Amino acid sequence: MSGIGMKTAGVALTMLASSLLIAADAPTGGQPGTRAFVLNGLYVGGGGDPNGCPATSSGNFDIFLASLPADQRTRLSDPGHRSELQKMMWSHYGFRRLRLWPGDFGGRLESAKLPPDVKLHQTPTPAQVRAIAELNGFPKGRGSLAYQKQTIAYSSCTNPEDFPMLAAGYHPYSGKISTGLNLDGKDGAQNFVSPEGEKGVDNQLWRAVGCYKQFQEMNDPALQRKVMLSARSPTLIEVSGIDDIHNDPDVTVRIVTGADPLVRDGAGNPLAHASFMLDRDPSLVTVTHGRIVDGVLTTDPVDLRFVFREQIVDNTRAMRAARIKATFLPDGSLDGGIFGYSTLASFYDMIEQMTQDGADNVGMSCVGVRQAINRYADGYRDQRTGRFTAISSAMNFHAVPAFLADQGKAMAPSRNVEAAR
Amino acid sequence: MSRLGPLLVLGAAACVAALSVGFSSATFGGTDTNVAVPSVRRLTEAQYRSSIDDLFGSDVEVVGRFEPDMRVDGLAAVGASAVSITPGGLEQYHAIARHIAEQVFDPAHRDKLVGCAPGPDDADGANCAASFIGRVGSKLFRRPLGLAQIRAATVQTLASAKQLGSFDAGLGAMLTGMLTSPGFLFRVDTPAQSGPSGAIDAYSKATRLSFLLWNAPPDEKLTTAAGSGALDTPAGLQAQVDRMVASPRFAGGVRAFFTDFLQLGDIDNLSKDALIYPAFSTSVAEATREQTLRTITDLLVEHKGDYRDLFTTHRFAMTRALGPIYDVPVTRPGWSIYEFPAGDPREGLLTQASLLALHSHPGRTSPTLRGKAIRETLLCEKIPSPPANVNFAVVQDVNNPTLKTTRQRLEAHLDDEECASCHKATDGLGLGLEKFDGAGQFRRTEHDMPIDVTGKFDKAPFDGAGNLGRLFHDSPKVSQCLVKTAWRYANGRNIEPSDQAQIDRLNQSFPANGYRFIDLMRTIALDPAFYALQRVSRSAPERTARAATERGTHS
Repeated sequence: MSGIGMKTAGVALTMLASSLLIAADAPTGGQPGTRAFVLNGLYVGGGGDPNGCPATSSGNFDIFLASLPADQRTRLSDPGHRSELQKMMWSHYGFRRLRLWPGDFGGRLESAKLPPDVKLHQTPTPAQVRAIAELNGFPKGRGSLAYQKQTIAYSSCTNPEDFPMLAAGYHPYSGKISTGLNLDGKDGAQNFVSPEGEKGVDNQLWRAVGCYKQFQEMNDPALQRKVMLSARSPTLIEVSGIDDIHNDPDVTVRIVTGADPLVRDGAGNPLAHASFMLDRDPSLVTVTHGRIVDGVLTTDPVDLRFVFREQIVDNTRAMRAARIKATFLPDGSLDGGIFGYSTLASFYDMIEQMTQDGADNVGMSCVGVRQAINRYADGYRDQRTGRFTAISSAMNFHAVPAFLADQGKAMAPSRNVEAAR
Repeated sequence: MSRLGPLLVLGAAACVAALSVGFSSATFGGTDTNVAVPSVRRLTEAQYRSSIDDLFGSDVEVVGRFEPDMRVDGLAAVGASAVSITPGGLEQYHAIARHIAEQVFDPAHRDKLVGCAPGPDDADGANCAASFIGRVGSKLFRRPLGLAQIRAATVQTLASAKQLGSFDAGLGAMLTGMLTSPGFLFRVDTPAQSGPSGAIDAYSKATRLSFLLWNAPPDEKLTTAAGSGALDTPAGLQAQVDRMVASPRFAGGVRAFFTDFLQLGDIDNLSKDALIYPAFSTSVAEATREQTLRTITDLLVEHKGDYRDLFTTHRFAMTRALGPIYDVPVTRPGWSIYEFPAGDPREGLLTQASLLALHSHPGRTSPTLRGKAIRETLLCEKIPSPPANVNFAVVQDVNNPTLKTTRQRLEAHLDDEECASCHKATDGLGLGLEKFDGAGQFRRTEHDMPIDVTGKFDKAPFDGAGNLGRLFHDSPKVSQCLVKTAWRYANGRNIEPSDQAQIDRLNQSFPANGYRFIDLMRTIALDPAFYALQRVSRSAPERTARAATERGTHS
């Protein structure tokens, strides 16, 4: 066993012994040597060069409007005509969205005809989805579950390959500067320089999506502190085995998903020092080693999964060779990011779930995003197809102190730590 | 309002007169210079609610604003003897009563709660009305109604029913009348017709006992014991006290006492500046009160513990909502006991967020308010109110660049000699709690300055709230104050010189019984003096004048 491993095991034994010998609960501030945090969200991060985008990438409405005669374009550009514009666009491209079950969708959706073997409120199998799509006149082989799996949809988000015209007006981020980490230890033409001057920064996701207005807006740290993402299933980070919060060469870091929602405090910020039960899905528990140098935590790379669960989206994001770099702040919070290779498959899933409505509303094009991440993917090449399956990325967060329901329990590093190295 | 509502308004007033039970029948004994006076205590809101709950069940809602309870020397139980009902208050009681009557007679409850109706054998419903009035009236007035009373009320009910065109409307009006009758709204002692002079009758005894131990009206068994005469015998009284103390309802009585004693009702109006204390909300405030009450009943009732241990206990009732305030992981669902380890800053009642937050300002702590509350509540001392022209500028300037801690600001304020005299009494104890902010959250520094929590209590030095709690644990002043307060709570009045012998007896038995709160309540409940009318000397005009002033001012 390595020295680090022995220390980890020692911490686990000490905690176990403490819990057996002393009936008391944790002291004020929680178990000594353990600090946990709840993330207010994970935001696609990058940028730093104000001239990195020649123009903002076009959203669906922009693209469709550009295809209309001038007089119609002028009239429908008025936000007051948004509903008419959307109706016209959906009709033009043949987008469909049907509700599977009785429910309140504002009375706007028609109900899907269902085959007899589909049971009410049971998520249909992929075969059943195909059968439902066919029964309801979707183009052959098209259609997916969307909106919390309560609808079946056919759109540029479920089937981007059918709507290449909606990639028009796309721009990659072409700046030289970007936040992120050098994930592969190399420095090449596709790499950025960090705002602090570190070379070889891998963040192709920002290159792919950094000129969309939505991502630009959410890249503002002040806004990130105010907006909570995935509040229904927040991500939590626990650092244990801390001897010195400023410098410790060996700490254990656990990344988990909460089963309790993140709530706001009276000032509108994430409530600090709250306790969270954990999602029981073992694939949502990741343990790795880390170190603290001058108050900055960095971790060894590990494959991890975290959840985006909001009103519409329920997406599990997979990130390979992910590592944390974050700073312990004097007010007790933790600021930083998770850096690694987001798998394209989990990103596709997020885009599909976002739905055509969601993409329309935030000024994004699912087609543009998908084509871009395919083009700029740079990690984990599939030996069979020769294509990359993941894209280097930076996910920023601000985190406030929290408690995990089983604080300090899972101490064994995840098996995928070594694999991710 | 249901269809029944307007009818109840019309009919209720007429019915009140038919059932003015007991209130005017109290008799006085003794000589002109030494008069036995029956106590008259208005039901508190909690007692009103428990009365309705016991009688009609919890699904009959009590909705409305009550006349505010008034504290006399810190206790609402004493204030209840000094308040009347204002005309506005009576309207509120009437509205509440009407709403209760509407629910009792609505289709969802009528069969279960009324249980009869006019029929072939009871054409005008006289038997039904008499049965309902007898059953409900005896519960509300906490004594059986006489046949003449029932008969008169029945006649009145039928007359109302005829006038209102509905049996239910007539009986509903009678219920509304009973619920607004002084016989229900006030606990009035009835002097015993036989036995020792100056004693109260058995039903009055049952009422005193039940509100003391359960904060609720007597149940069937206690009423039966009163009716059979058993309650007038030492063995019968002992059996009832033992039964009631062993009942789960005893915890309700203990909660009521400590709610009054610690003035926890004030938490209803507690609010904090959300920008300064963002984790503190209305629901958190309510949880802090519940925490304190559960902590107390866990120690004093479930573990039959030593009252003094409240000041050193590490066992705090805890729920998820309080985790952020206490900065601890709370993983068990609902309420559970959280045991802080030895050496933790959380130790004892003085470190609970309820008291710390209650006696602070909305955006900062107040050693003065905390110290005053401790002195007055837990030590039974009197602290004079500040003069009207105090200059608080230095104390309130929390961002003063040189006076960074509250202690420093208070010391600057004390340069004013006039202020210093009172602050000496309060601030020393309050400053010992300064490591807990205005929301009761632990802190080590204030504006990056270490917080000094040293001080002296009765010449003994302490360093922090834990130390202070341990000094309280060992202080006879603290346990004697509880004795005084429990006696005042039980008797609904302040201690007179003639009561001192009882207090002295309690001060002996309380330590002898291991400072067990259960035994203190049991001793009070078994003391014949608890069931005696108060003797008032008419030659004490200043006392009478004071009582009149209090009633006039506060009622």
